[in-house]
Amino acid sequence: MIAIDKLCYNSKLRYENAGEKFAFSVITLCICVMSRSVEVASIVLATTGILTVWKGGVPVLRYLKFLTIPLAFLLLSTVAVMFNIKKTPMDFFAIPVGDWYITASHYSFFYALQLILTALAAVSCLYFLAFSTPMPDILEVLRKLHCPGLLIELMLLIYRFIFVLMETASAISVSQKCRLGNKDYRTSVKSFGLLGSVLMIRAVKRANCLYDAMEARCYDGTIHVLTENRKPKKKIIAAIIIFDTALLIFAVWRRFFL
Amino acid sequence: MNKKQKYVIMAATFFALTFGIMPSVNAMHIMEGYLPGSFCIAWGVLCIPFLAAGFLSIKKTLNEHRNLITLLAVSGAFIFVISSLKIPSVTGSCSHMTGTGLGAILFGPAAVSVLGLIVLLFQALLLAHGGLTTIGANTFSMAIAGPFVSYGIYKLLGKTKVNKKVNIFLAAALGDLFTYCVTAGQMALAHNADTTFGAAFGKFLVVFAPTQIPLAVIEGIITVLIIMGLETYAKPELKLIGYFKEEK
Repeated sequence: MIAIDKLCYNSKLRYENAGEKFAFSVITLCICVMSRSVEVASIVLATTGILTVWKGGVPVLRYLKFLTIPLAFLLLSTVAVMFNIKKTPMDFFAIPVGDWYITASHYSFFYALQLILTALAAVSCLYFLAFSTPMPDILEVLRKLHCPGLLIELMLLIYRFIFVLMETASAISVSQKCRLGNKDYRTSVKSFGLLGSVLMIRAVKRANCLYDAMEARCYDGTIHVLTENRKPKKKIIAAIIIFDTALLIFAVWRRFFL
Repeated sequence: MNKKQKYVIMAATFFALTFGIMPSVNAMHIMEGYLPGSFCIAWGVLCIPFLAAGFLSIKKTLNEHRNLITLLAVSGAFIFVISSLKIPSVTGSCSHMTGTGLGAILFGPAAVSVLGLIVLLFQALLLAHGGLTTIGANTFSMAIAGPFVSYGIYKLLGKTKVNKKVNIFLAAALGDLFTYCVTAGQMALAHNADTTFGAAFGKFLVVFAPTQIPLAVIEGIITVLIIMGLETYAKPELKLIGYFKEEK
């Protein structure tokens, strides 16, 4: 159903301590986004990519395919950053169109390149977290970080309901397809509208049932879940600290002393 | 080949070139790592008052009616699922709804701001739409600005004697367009390399227009259909949901 969720439950890194994985990806992500340098981005991209594929056991092709998900956004916005439409040509190149030029400057060209690399590296950081840590573990980390209890509880319930509703939605859409519900554009829009409203009705019904079930099991405002406690390993913590400190020093050095 | 056939082929080629290269057209999530750090923090801080207000209003409603928590959760999941489903699109590329207008009309802007934050987090981690560092900017455009506009239009036109379908359509479509303008503005603020803010804003608007404007129209139509369906078949359920709308 949701490919990322499936992959992260099968990941070889799944049973590592969730806090370690969370800290590693978030700190690296922050350094990568703050530094905005090509070198830092390349290092981060390589490291997280290798960790996810080699240590995590995610198939390489799958991983590359996931990296292309934000490609549409990346292409369009890079076009907007890189090119200018002006009456005077700029220093990098210029294509004349009538009286105007589609043109780019050296600065904006390299700026766009750096932006693409940074964005890809940041996405690979995000993927490291998403491909190795199931959602309940992430919620557990958030709970330890003192995120409000109500939010955590809502997230837990929403996470559960996403799968219930997805299943319902896919069943409805299969039966719509069987009955020629997508035979032309008009019907398919109408079918989608029907799907949405039926989904909401079913969802409300499920919600009421679930509350009754929870009430019957002594629900008093908090959902208690047993957590699998995996002790953080000293070796891994040390490795994370060394890597991130080195990366930070390198980023600062590139930024201010070069 | 006569003139008309040539024209059709040219139009088809144009569409193929414009839309064929896009693997998927998402609602305008700013991708991970696209905004510089200072902007990420600034947008995040800007969201906090809205989120706090939403959080407190939810908390108050839940203190009075405990049983609404599952309903709220299911609403969040509904927004997520609706925005992850492929909607029929004219061009054959796959596109998704934002669900902001629908959420705002059904649940009210206060609840949607908090639900939106959670949904965006899940979208980042489960679908790779958006990201962790850009979550502040995305929350502002998709869970705060868009829904507030949608809800404002919906309430404002509800007072006048506009046809209800037209009202819902306008609320959803304009909310979507506003989200897209805000996102373009956010990108332009962060990345105006060698032009002014205005020029960068224009460029981002133009570049995303071919995907976002049809999307807003489709989203408007679908929102009308969903809400009409709900009003026909699910009056009591709608009443339940209405609890979140009361501003207290």
